[in-house]
Amino acid sequence: MTQNRVAAISSATTELRVAWDGAQHIDLISAVVSDVFKGTGLDLDDVDFVLDSGSDVLDGRSISNCGFLGALGAHHKEESRIEEDGLWAALYGVAKIASGSADVGLIVAYSKPSESDVNLYYASQCEPFYQRPVGFDHRAASGLQAQRYLTSHGLKELDLARIVARRWTDAARHQRVQIKSVPGPADVLASKNVASPLKSLMMSRPVDGAVAVLLASDHIARRVSRTPVWITGLGSSMDRHSFSARKAGALEACEVAAQRAYRNAGWDSLPKPSLAEVSASSAASELMVLESLGLAGSGRALDLLDEDNRSINLSGGALPADPIMATGLVRLSEAMRQLSYPDEYGLKAPSSAIVHASGGVGMQTHCVATLEV
Amino acid sequence: MLSIPDTYPIDLAPFKSDLKMPYTLTPGRAAGVFLAEIGRRRIVGSRFRKSGTVVVPAQDFCPLSGDADFEFVQAPETGVLHGFTETDAGLIGLIRIDGSDIDFPHRMLDAAYGDLAVGMRVRVAWAEGVEQSILAIAGFRPAANAPVGRVVPLTDPAKPVEVVPYQLTLHYEHAFGPYYGRLFDEIKTNRRIMGVRSPGGEGAMIPPREICDITHKPTGTWVELGQTGTVRAMSIIYLEFIGQKQPPPYIYAEIMLDGASTRLIHNIAGLDMSKAKELVKPGTRVRAVWRETRTGSLDDISHFEVIEGE
Amino acid sequence: MTTHVGIVGVGQTHHARRRTDVSQAGLVREAVDRALNDAKLTIDDIDSIVVATGPVLFAAVNQPEKWVVDAIGGSLKPVVRVTSGGGTGLVGALAAYYQIAGGLADRVLVVGYDKLSEGALQYSISTLYDPFWGREFAVGIMGFSAAYWRARMDLLGHTEEAAAMVAVKNRRNAMANPYAHVKKEVTVEEVLKSKPLAWPIKVLDVPPISDGAAAIVLSSERMAAKSTDRPAWIRGMGYFCEADNAPSRSMLLSEPLAIAARRIYRAAGITNPRRQFDVVEVQEPYTCFELSYYESLGLCAPGQAAALISSGATQLDGDIPVNPSGGCAGANPIGAAGLVRVIEAAAQVMGKAAGNQIRGAKLALAQSGGGWANLRGIAVLSA
Repeated sequence: MTQNRVAAISSATTELRVAWDGAQHIDLISAVVSDVFKGTGLDLDDVDFVLDSGSDVLDGRSISNCGFLGALGAHHKEESRIEEDGLWAALYGVAKIASGSADVGLIVAYSKPSESDVNLYYASQCEPFYQRPVGFDHRAASGLQAQRYLTSHGLKELDLARIVARRWTDAARHQRVQIKSVPGPADVLASKNVASPLKSLMMSRPVDGAVAVLLASDHIARRVSRTPVWITGLGSSMDRHSFSARKAGALEACEVAAQRAYRNAGWDSLPKPSLAEVSASSAASELMVLESLGLAGSGRALDLLDEDNRSINLSGGALPADPIMATGLVRLSEAMRQLSYPDEYGLKAPSSAIVHASGGVGMQTHCVATLEV
Repeated sequence: MLSIPDTYPIDLAPFKSDLKMPYTLTPGRAAGVFLAEIGRRRIVGSRFRKSGTVVVPAQDFCPLSGDADFEFVQAPETGVLHGFTETDAGLIGLIRIDGSDIDFPHRMLDAAYGDLAVGMRVRVAWAEGVEQSILAIAGFRPAANAPVGRVVPLTDPAKPVEVVPYQLTLHYEHAFGPYYGRLFDEIKTNRRIMGVRSPGGEGAMIPPREICDITHKPTGTWVELGQTGTVRAMSIIYLEFIGQKQPPPYIYAEIMLDGASTRLIHNIAGLDMSKAKELVKPGTRVRAVWRETRTGSLDDISHFEVIEGE
Repeated sequence: MTTHVGIVGVGQTHHARRRTDVSQAGLVREAVDRALNDAKLTIDDIDSIVVATGPVLFAAVNQPEKWVVDAIGGSLKPVVRVTSGGGTGLVGALAAYYQIAGGLADRVLVVGYDKLSEGALQYSISTLYDPFWGREFAVGIMGFSAAYWRARMDLLGHTEEAAAMVAVKNRRNAMANPYAHVKKEVTVEEVLKSKPLAWPIKVLDVPPISDGAAAIVLSSERMAAKSTDRPAWIRGMGYFCEADNAPSRSMLLSEPLAIAARRIYRAAGITNPRRQFDVVEVQEPYTCFELSYYESLGLCAPGQAAALISSGATQLDGDIPVNPSGGCAGANPIGAAGLVRVIEAAAQVMGKAAGNQIRGAKLALAQSGGGWANLRGIAVLSA
């Protein structure tokens, strides 16, 4: 792929909670920045650059990285703020290390959606003259996507409810997400309508949290670990802003991002990775993502739920826990864990993973990474 | 998260912050003409010359190809419903106006979710007396058997609307956390300003936080700072702006309290403003003057006054 | 930096106090068309797009790259937005640089813009501050900048007169810049007499509020020839920061800028910036900053900035011309301003500066930064 292989050598996450009401942004950020070095033999002095992902609108501050630089460990280092999910910051970090200009990069992503209005965070992304005034927003976009997906493939709301229940069950098992009780399919169907046919438990649940990932060049990675997690392919793509101008019933940008990543990695176009960690805005769009990534045929992603050797979103994915701006980087962190400690997940000798992030109303933009050990 | 000694969870209601920002947005040529014409009940679209693609409402750039070369067209009031959902904003539909190549979102009126079907014909419902807004169309109603309309060139387009007023109101509830929690609790209750010792041991940091910004190491114990301090930097403010807390002129100052190694921002007052440049300089010694009211914020200090003779 | 990356096309809008003929998206498209034209390319030739805009609260659309992508015609390409207050434009160019140097792309389009006329600027800049601590007293960036200028007056001799000379120089230089919209020369006396806004900052120390966009096309070495036989090669570029409330933060020297200069100069083989650079473009949010940059960039010793400007060395005909474009004094669309500095520096070494071309310029320095002056970077460009 590039001049220089790059590995993700360590990651740290806070617990993902509906509200971290006893902590500020800087507390979450500094906790993961402190934690990510432990056991690696490296420390902040070894870090050449920091790339951070956060949102001014969610944070309630302009240039919000500016006040968090100390907590980010960025003092007197190179730093940049990417106002997109942390997986895009990781993509930038990989390119920087691959260029040969740095050896170790710290990637941080965080948010506290509990402090602001998530609906307004998304609605304010909509163009202000035609879309915003009529009430079009990410909920409407998700509802329209779900309506089309269910009718095209003859699926029912119960099918979506089953996925939700499974994801929450998986998330509760690994205790990195604060979950009071795991909803069953009936609970999901009984939850409030948000964007018909989607009920509130079918939407990804915003949570507060922070995540840090350390990236390293080939020679540093090999000193730190016998089996580094190599980032072998990267691809991203942004779809049209106009929701209706996008290919109907599809997530075309996700397909394009995936193809770019797989080509980058030297994979055949229909991959069989050992596992996948994907993001989503709703249960229906998660199925659309899995199909766009080539993991199932059109309308068949539901089958993955009932497979014997399960390997999709073993962390629970974004449905139970969506720390907006950090969700994709958390997916990377979870995939790293699964590749490094497969026994904890019932996996047998996994060798590769797909990691996926998205952003925007109706998942307008997508980023895909391939990992290999 | 580690805590330094004497740090405990504080049960403070979150800090509320409202950002009310006024804007004057420019819609550009296509949306500008659409907004100018919609009050006259003319629905304006763009036909892009190279591809023939018609987009309603009008756009400057084709969302499919990015082409910028277009002519204005007038669209009919009828179309087809291509999708719909119900949120707390009501029924949102994707409408394909007859003759257009792309849907657009708008409201569905006078129907329940269960009454709607993809593929049904719909017709515009106008809002009385609304101009220069997409909401001059109140929404669309089911209109079975409505004849299919045609898109025609727009004659005599009005001049585009150049400015659309807009307001963004963002409401936040920020958690204090134990450090800011104690800082402001002490300010409110005891009128003490507390910092935490830097890991290096020299001076205290305010605002207090668990991890030092420079070394990224845990900070030390809590320490009470002085009520007096030294001006590090100052400016005399004459500028007026929206959201300003007091009318100018006033003195903006960055002050290092005795015992602290970092600075806080406040105002210096209680002096003859015509002599401000002489009386207040970097190095000037100042003292906190507290208000009567106690809110638990830096505003509980009304201002800093110059200490004579130091 | 081993892979050669060059700027092969540049474009800016004619910046204005207020553009009522185009939306943000239209403004972006204007700059993009010009840069692509300059690079003899179409959008189809571009592998990836970086959008760099100032804080979203400046103009009411969150994550505006998602909106303007349709106007750029970049659908389905990789698009990402980076942002860093005033330093946004440079940070955008840096992100694009690494996409090419890291092998992810061959040609990247960077577009920066701000439509400052659309929002209440001082209020939205004040939201930079911590809502708990400092925001209620903040005066945008102006109060903070003025206060530390006052401190530098005593210790470094950055007098009001010296800053006024910066205003005089830059406004005169802007007269020749076709993209600037403030075209009015001033005298030192007029600057000193102008109304104080946040003393010592006065009206004529302050750049205008502007609507404007700027774009560049960066190319790998192997694809550059398709666009131009004289790219502006990036010899070094970097962007550093410091935690804002550092005990050691004196604001006398811009430490992140000094760090950037030290690292990038070494990588780019610069040992004597005053002698080696033919031209410098700096982003001065207020005139006092230009004096500070002279010192932090090593163009003169600390405390010598006033002497440097008085000597005439930084004039067009001096030995180290600074801001031949007029800097921010002629136009200041904040999100684009850093990219405009890069463009002006690139245009100098490409021999196609639109206004005051410094004859024979081969090595240029561009500087940009944002936040509480705690985010700062530079780029070194050569022909």
